[in-house]
Amino acid sequence: MKNLKEISTRLKIAKENFSKTYKKDTESTNAASFGKAFKISTELVASVVVGTTIGFIFDSWFDTKPLLIIIFFILGVTAGIFNVIKTAKRMQKKL
Amino acid sequence: MTSNPMHQFEVYKIGPEININGINLSFTNSSLFMAVSAILILSLLFFGTKKKLLIPSKIQLITEMSYSFVAKMISDTAGSNAKSFFPFIFTLFMFVLFCNMVGMLPYSFTVTSHIIITFMLAAIVFIGVTIIGFIKHGLKYLQLFVPKGVPIVLLPLIIIIEVISYLSRPVSLSVRLFANMMAGHTMLKVFGGFVISLGLLGGWLPLGFSIALTGLEILVAFLQAYVFAILTCIYLNDALNLHH
Repeated sequence: MKNLKEISTRLKIAKENFSKTYKKDTESTNAASFGKAFKISTELVASVVVGTTIGFIFDSWFDTKPLLIIIFFILGVTAGIFNVIKTAKRMQKKL
Repeated sequence: MTSNPMHQFEVYKIGPEININGINLSFTNSSLFMAVSAILILSLLFFGTKKKLLIPSKIQLITEMSYSFVAKMISDTAGSNAKSFFPFIFTLFMFVLFCNMVGMLPYSFTVTSHIIITFMLAAIVFIGVTIIGFIKHGLKYLQLFVPKGVPIVLLPLIIIIEVISYLSRPVSLSVRLFANMMAGHTMLKVFGGFVISLGLLGGWLPLGFSIALTGLEILVAFLQAYVFAILTCIYLNDALNLHH
């Protein structure tokens, strides 16, 4: 009976230690998650910028001033959201 | 007394002005710090590999660690096919890392806080990866823009979207590095300015912030170099192993 008690206290200590180190791990990845958040947000912004730029250039080529920039802006947003989903999926795979 | 926080990003020329065919090629402080980081990398690798001890010295350990770090990164993300691109990715990683780290020293200039530098690096990666993809797969590389299982009605729209997202790669790659470095250094300068303007009475709080930010900034400097290199690996992987 004494033996069992000893084992259970040891287990308790080990579990506590484990949870402590585990907590430390998640704390240290806080900065990494900042990087991840930044990664996703730039992904979204970049596609919108590229889409709008393409629309602007096409507009000045074909002389259809406001039309193509609007269309390509919306396409850029769509592409951005696709990119964000793709990146998020890739991140999830790694976890 | 108030110093302009953007003053640190000013590029000025050192020495005589060099003008070739109307292109200004003067040696600037930006070029100086690029040269400094390149020399630092070369000397690290030179002294690190000079004495090949079985039990490595500190400098040899750093060199070996940086080698195995990049090698592992490439084999994890881009597969064994990409082993031949190790020199390029190692150079890119070390250059960005050292430019960021040298920028953390007081009175130095952060090369990567200018979008033209980061955009050039990203454009080299983008154009290189595209050429590699076309060499490796020929016109089949265009399959990258056609995801599987899309109804034909939606195909034109999806292709345009995929092309836009492909073109956005260099933009997001360069903006990420540039914005991180610039925002961090501006913030450091702003808090430094607070310390001066609040004086002995209230200056301690911003001073503490400034110290914490310096630590964060060193971490960001490393992280951004890592992200830059790993995204290059991912794009390379897309080009080498075509699948969707």
